[in-house]
Parts: sequence; structure tokens; C-alpha cells
Amino acid sequence: MATLADLKISEVKLAAEQTGKWGMVIDQDICTGCQACVAACAMENNVTFVGEVDSGYGRSMHWIRIERFWEGEYPEVKMTPNQPMLCQQCGHATCEPVCPAFATVHSQAEQLNLQVYNRCVGTRYCANNCPYQVRSFNWRDYQRPEPLPNQFNPDVTVRRVGVMEKCTFCIQRIHKAQDKAKSEGREVVDGEFTTACAQACPANAIVFGRVDDPESLVSQLGKQSHGVKHLEELGTLPNVTYFKGG
Amino acid sequence: MIKRIFDWLKQPLGLIAVGIAVLALFSLAAYGLYTTQQPPAQPIQFPHWKHAAFGIQCLYCHPGAAKGPSAGIPSQAKCWGCHNQITKTTDPNSELRFLVKHVQEGTPIEWVPVAQVPDFVQFNHRAHVAAGKNCEDCHGDMGDKSQITIAQNPQVFNMGWCLNCHIETAGQDHEKLVKLSDCGTCHY
Repeated sequence: MATLADLKISEVKLAAEQTGKWGMVIDQDICTGCQACVAACAMENNVTFVGEVDSGYGRSMHWIRIERFWEGEYPEVKMTPNQPMLCQQCGHATCEPVCPAFATVHSQAEQLNLQVYNRCVGTRYCANNCPYQVRSFNWRDYQRPEPLPNQFNPDVTVRRVGVMEKCTFCIQRIHKAQDKAKSEGREVVDGEFTTACAQACPANAIVFGRVDDPESLVSQLGKQSHGVKHLEELGTLPNVTYFKGG
Repeated sequence: MIKRIFDWLKQPLGLIAVGIAVLALFSLAAYGLYTTQQPPAQPIQFPHWKHAAFGIQCLYCHPGAAKGPSAGIPSQAKCWGCHNQITKTTDPNSELRFLVKHVQEGTPIEWVPVAQVPDFVQFNHRAHVAAGKNCEDCHGDMGDKSQITIAQNPQVFNMGWCLNCHIETAGQDHEKLVKLSDCGTCHY
């Protein structure tokens, strides 16, 4: 049986080029860390607010978060660029093989990592196996006082307690765009729709699109030499490219 | 202590008590199941079959089915568009008196949806209509023989039933099969 070490990096890269469908490019140099993407994501995807008590236990729920790091010792600390971290929609995801209920499966049609909420039994194995730590677990049925339920997105499931959830690359928007394009008898055009985080970003630091289409904006941007895919050495084949110090 | 309870239960009176308890539990469970199978109470006993028998297309009252995810339920204004021209509205015992009341008071008719899928299923009417499915394939025949009112849902929507049709529709087309059997097509 071939292990990961047997795979040559070039083969991994080749496989990545073949398997990805939707991808994202995040430019950390122009990200201001304003958290608009975090808020937009929570609104779009019915992500709940856990409150400060549960956040203190490390149970905060975000599908995208802004990571900040710093270099040097106090008081000579220097901030490094903000790093928005979301599900990398790996082509060879570590979360998928560990699920005992097959709740996190790879979508063959959209090449995304799916989380099937009605299958999930809440073992949290996937979150523990995710090297990016981007999965969040519903520890409780968090209260949404009136009138907050009025802002639910009807296209997205409202998750219940005991269910794992994570970024879907706004699959509801993908489906909506595909449905609209199909009803008009055409293909989905690049830039016709985007994810909630990319739409909300005031600096346009996030670009979303088809990575398998060489003409799309993401593909064009992704060709820049200073693009980095996080923890690529693990062989996860992530579909999010980061730019830093370009 | 436990032995004394068992001994008491073994005597005739005890056996009768056990029998009554088992019967009570069984009938409670049966009643619980029965209530889940009852159509919900509707504000008006709307006869779907009569409207279908008059030759009114489904899409006349539920035009959303051809355009988007939700088929939609017509407002009382739409009902009144036809019904204000029908003299039968003066009949005091007609179901229409409820419609007249809603129209006069300007209050919405609070229909209870019966053809529903759970929250974790994202259903789109448009894609199904565009794929050539007829309304009666899922909602049952509502023609004049059926006598169906609104409070009935002849087809149970479960995933096996959905998936069967998806796989049949895809046939030998591999690309279509991948799309139609993908979890992410309906669950997100």
C-alpha cells in the first residue's frame, strides 16, 4: 500500500491541479483584519453566537476566523499580516476518512468537503483530525433571542446541538448560480457570484472562483510565484492559496 | 423487597394489573402513532380535486414551482380573483364563507403546509419541473376521481424515494449520476 511518503510532491501537485474545482485566493498583504468576512459568513450561513462563557472554553463557532501572529519579544513586537483561516476544502482531506458515520464526505460533483448534518453523530473526530482547526462543534442549542431568528438564511440548514459544521464555500450560492445559469441555458460565468466572505471584504483580499478554469481570476492570481498553500506538505491538497509579502 | 413485589405480581390480581399496564402503554403508543398520521387542521377544507377537475393548471395558483425553490401558496386575493365572480359565495354553509371572511377582513389564510421536507434538505421545485417531472409524480393525482382536499399528502417524502428517482433519471449518464447522487446536491 502506498503511503503518503511514497508520493512525490510533484505528483501531489499534479493531483491537486486535477481534483480541485472551486478555489480561493487570499491576499494577506491587503487584508486589514477588519472581520467583515467573519460577520458576513455568520449571517450567510446561520452560524450561531456562543457567548463569552463558551468562547472561554474554546467553543467559539466560526467558519472563518482572522488569525494574527506576532514576531519578537515585548515591547519590540511586530505584527505579521492577518491570516483569514477557513476550511481549505482539501482535495485529500484528513477529516474525511476518520468519520465513523460518513457524515463528512467528499462531493464528487463540486469537489468540496461536505458536512452532512443529518448523518453527523458528533464524535468530533473530524475536528480533531483537521490540521487547520477550522471545524466547529455545536456544544449546545444556543439561544437566538427575538428578532434574531428573522435573519436566518432559508437556503442553509440551522444546525442543532451535537452536530459538527464548517465552511462550505457557500455551496448554497454555488447551487443558486448553477440553477440560474441552467434556467437561462448557459454556463456559470466567472465572477457571477462569490462567497459571502469575498463579497463582504472591503479590500477585495478574497477572490473565489473555479480553479479548474485557467481563464478564471482565481487561476490567474494563483499562478503568482509567492502563493502559499498552508500545510501543503501534509498532502492535503488544499484549495486556498495565500499571498504574503508579494 | 424485590422478591415481595414479584410475588405480589404473580398472584391473579397482580397479573391483571400487569396486563392493564401493558395494554395502556400499547394503546398510548398506538394513539401516538395515529396522531402523527393525521393531516393537520386547515382553516378551509379546500377541495383540490374540484379545482383540478375544472382544468385549472397547478402552476396557475403555484407559479413559483416553475421559477424557483418554493412553489408558493396563493394569497386570498388570488382566490378572490375567480371566486368573486361565482354566485355560490352567497351560500351560507359553503366553505367559501371562510374565504369571504378573510377577504373582507383582509387577513391572510393561515394554511398549514403538508408537503414538507426537513430543514436539512434543500429542495428546489424549478430544477424538478425543468427536468420534466409532473406535479402529480410527487404530490399524487389530484384529479376529480381522487377527492383530495388540501389536508392530504399521498406521497411520503423520504430520502430513499428521492434517491430512487434521481438514480433512475440519471440512467447511464455518469456525470448526471454523480451530480444527482451527491450528498451536497440536497444537504447543506
